[in-house]
Amino acid sequence: MASASAGAVSAPQSFVREKILLGKTFREYVRSCCTPVNAVAALILAIGIPLIVIRFAAGLGATTNLSQTAPWGIWIGFDMMTGIVLAAGGFTIGATVQLFGLKEYHPIERAAILTAFLGYIMAIAGLLADLGRPWNMVMIFASYGTASALFEVAWCVVCYSSVLFLEFTIPFFEWVGWKKVHSVMKKALIALTVLSVMFSTMHQSALGSLFLLAPTKLHPLWYSPFIFIFFFLTAVIAGISMVIVESSISHKVFHSQIAGQHVDVDKLTLGLGKAGALVMFAYFFLKLQGVIDGHAWGYLRTGYGAWFLVEIVGFVLVPALLYAYGSRNGKVKIVRIGGVMGVLGIVLNRLNVSVIAFNWNQPVRYVPSWMEVWVSITLVTIGVLLFRWIVNRMPILREDPRFAEAHH
Amino acid sequence: MRIGRRGFMKVAAVTAGAAGAVSAGAASAASEGSDGPGVLVDTTLCVGCRACEAACSEKNKLPAPPEDAKVMLQRRDTAPQVFTVVNRAENANGTVRFAKKQCMHCIAPGCASACPVRAMDKLPTGPVVYDASKCMGCRYCMIACPFDVPKYEYNALAPRVRKCTFCADRQAKGLKPACTEVCPSGALTFGGRAELLEEAKRRIYTNPGKYSSHIFGEREAGGTSWMYLTDPDTDLAKLALRTDVPEKEIPSLVSGALSAPPFVMTLWPPLLMGLYVFSRRRDEAEKAGAEKEDHHG
Amino acid sequence: MGHEFLSIYSAKLLEYTLAISYLLLFIPFWKYVQGGKRAEATVPAVAKRPAVQVARPAGAVAPRAAAGWFQVPAGVHLHPGHTWARLEADGLVSVGVDDFAHKLVGPARVELPALGEKVAQGEPALEIGDEERLVPMLSPVDGTVVAVNAAARERQDGLDDPYGAGWLFKVKAPRLAANLRQLLTDGPARRFVEDAGEALALRMNPELAHVLQDGGTPIHGIGRALAGDEWERLARQYFLT
Repeated sequence: MASASAGAVSAPQSFVREKILLGKTFREYVRSCCTPVNAVAALILAIGIPLIVIRFAAGLGATTNLSQTAPWGIWIGFDMMTGIVLAAGGFTIGATVQLFGLKEYHPIERAAILTAFLGYIMAIAGLLADLGRPWNMVMIFASYGTASALFEVAWCVVCYSSVLFLEFTIPFFEWVGWKKVHSVMKKALIALTVLSVMFSTMHQSALGSLFLLAPTKLHPLWYSPFIFIFFFLTAVIAGISMVIVESSISHKVFHSQIAGQHVDVDKLTLGLGKAGALVMFAYFFLKLQGVIDGHAWGYLRTGYGAWFLVEIVGFVLVPALLYAYGSRNGKVKIVRIGGVMGVLGIVLNRLNVSVIAFNWNQPVRYVPSWMEVWVSITLVTIGVLLFRWIVNRMPILREDPRFAEAHH
Repeated sequence: MRIGRRGFMKVAAVTAGAAGAVSAGAASAASEGSDGPGVLVDTTLCVGCRACEAACSEKNKLPAPPEDAKVMLQRRDTAPQVFTVVNRAENANGTVRFAKKQCMHCIAPGCASACPVRAMDKLPTGPVVYDASKCMGCRYCMIACPFDVPKYEYNALAPRVRKCTFCADRQAKGLKPACTEVCPSGALTFGGRAELLEEAKRRIYTNPGKYSSHIFGEREAGGTSWMYLTDPDTDLAKLALRTDVPEKEIPSLVSGALSAPPFVMTLWPPLLMGLYVFSRRRDEAEKAGAEKEDHHG
Repeated sequence: MGHEFLSIYSAKLLEYTLAISYLLLFIPFWKYVQGGKRAEATVPAVAKRPAVQVARPAGAVAPRAAAGWFQVPAGVHLHPGHTWARLEADGLVSVGVDDFAHKLVGPARVELPALGEKVAQGEPALEIGDEERLVPMLSPVDGTVVAVNAAARERQDGLDDPYGAGWLFKVKAPRLAANLRQLLTDGPARRFVEDAGEALALRMNPELAHVLQDGGTPIHGIGRALAGDEWERLARQYFLT
């Protein structure tokens, strides 16, 4: 080894080998990919991708259980609406770090933005699968239905996805080493964060406004003229909860990356739990106010009433109390459980509004087909795989020392 | 400032006039769209011959409706290839009634307001029409319609939304919609909506007890072009019409929330930037305090 | 949604009652959530730091900052010979060896300068090594030695926590400002250590360097693992002696 002269570097690694294959040869890399998790993912995709092809080849009728009385199914209710709300971590943590100045949350900021970016891509993918004439999506740029809440959703999603993409280029440029462009983007981060909060406020609430025009179709316990405020608040809650869950998982799975970084995820989790407790507590009461405002308290005694209580008591109030207890007493595990329940609660809320409590008075109810469910799972799997691929290569959870600066 | 009694009267008059103008302007869309075309459906005159169904399918090049009248024993709905259906129901006292179902061509249509690309649009002349070349297939119009009218071609590779067009092309040429043209019993009367509304009221007043005083479509969803007269014992819900429609215009339910985005776009940047500056100042103050400690150490 | 007019009154009553109840509940809830002991930063330390709370001077900041495998905390001024200096709250300057040197040499003993001895920046001031061989290391600052860490000298593991309990000696440094200008901190320091780490990794295995960018920390005594008996020459190379 002494023959190797000091500082001499062996032949420079090719970009592909170093950056894409993590420094392994192609064979080594493929072998390293044969894990049980990847096997499950491969199985999901092996069925899911052909299903997506079939959906486009054979049409919606052949693959979904959508009907004349159920025009929206889980591709809208879950992939689009839930995907968008669970991606709200991007703007909540971005605002926390850049605008509220709580720099200690920076270590999880990039992962949150990446989650949001991939979440939106997956939501758009779900939308593409659901639209009957997806090639006409570009008409949104030509013919302006400005009286429509969906117009606002579409435009804001386009704008916000662009902002997320630009925010994502910062770790990307660090990865490929383009310093000049990187510093330009870094300077723009404050403006991008302001825009992301603005666009998020608008379209998260607009997704709720979508249901304003169907008062006779959405169950009175969920319908309210204030539904757009509810949707915005749940977006904040979902952002907080999703970041708690995602950072817990990431920091365990990608532990090797953050070793030596002294990132105290536990402390950040507790801080997020505190914020989550307060917002969820307020939201619980707000939902009750909505019911009273709509004179719908009589419905609480019905089956749907019980389900409504399951949603707001079991999946809003209980996680709020878990957050409160956990963050006050420093019990991170409790906060994490609260996070999982919070995420489930928001998923439940979106599914309730768009599918379960929607057209509740129709004789024949919608149940998704297995193909719809599988395609949804496939889209989520692809999102998770992309997340893992990017985190393994780009400086999301760790600093790139070439770009590291004095942090305070 | 001394106004005096005459001045006061002037001010009061102007204010009252202004208030009157405002309230007249804010008068329901029903009066605004009242000079559009309309159809009065008098269900007491309908005999269930279904000539309207046949004429509609012929005009729109749709498959001919089933000939056998027995189909009316089942509740039927419109479909991607069926723009209008006639349903049959029996009253409590045994009278058989029929009612035609089709797009109501609302004065303030929910579907048109819901369409993000204006594929569903209301013509200035009145009919609510569909342009497949713009349509993305989001099916939001189906969510929006309180009467559950638009139907979707789920089994097509380039699916369209399908509904009655009010024969807009025929109307443009000065003709009547095909269904109203062939109705033998006079159950369907085509004309100006305002006049038809008056006609409906006239029929109610001059035939006490024969008609229900509620004209379906007068105020539902803010007023529709198609209006229905029934006898007091007939429940239109039994005739496959959705009667739980609120009187508010559908678009007005959304317009309040939709006016928020421009406010957000205006207010959020200064608010958030102010927050940013505030938090940065606080950080700098903290750092300055910490540094001072360092120097002392 | 046509409400009957009169039902508005009962609804409003319920609404305001609910809102007031909420406000009354919110105050104790807020207090509950904000209360509780301030969650201490339970930093997942790479090396155990039991004595840190006592030994850590007031001016030091909790170690952060990744340097790939090796740590360089904030507040520490690094000499290219892999020694460090830090201004303490009492005005004295602590000196020690950095994490890279610590890991390169592994468990070792040190020969420290005597009290009152003068040290000069860039001149050998201490020696580090094992039973057989000692390698000199350079002082990061000019000054007079006023304190020496006996524990570091006596015990084999005395060098653990090289920036905290593993400090080696303290000097009175009259020309600290000028000295500091020659030393690295923060980003440049981290980059320097990162490069040293990479160069080391390349020696170990040209391919391994790139795999390890995804994790894996080196163990103590790399020098010996790499070069066996030649470790002294390797160390001298890095320590600039």
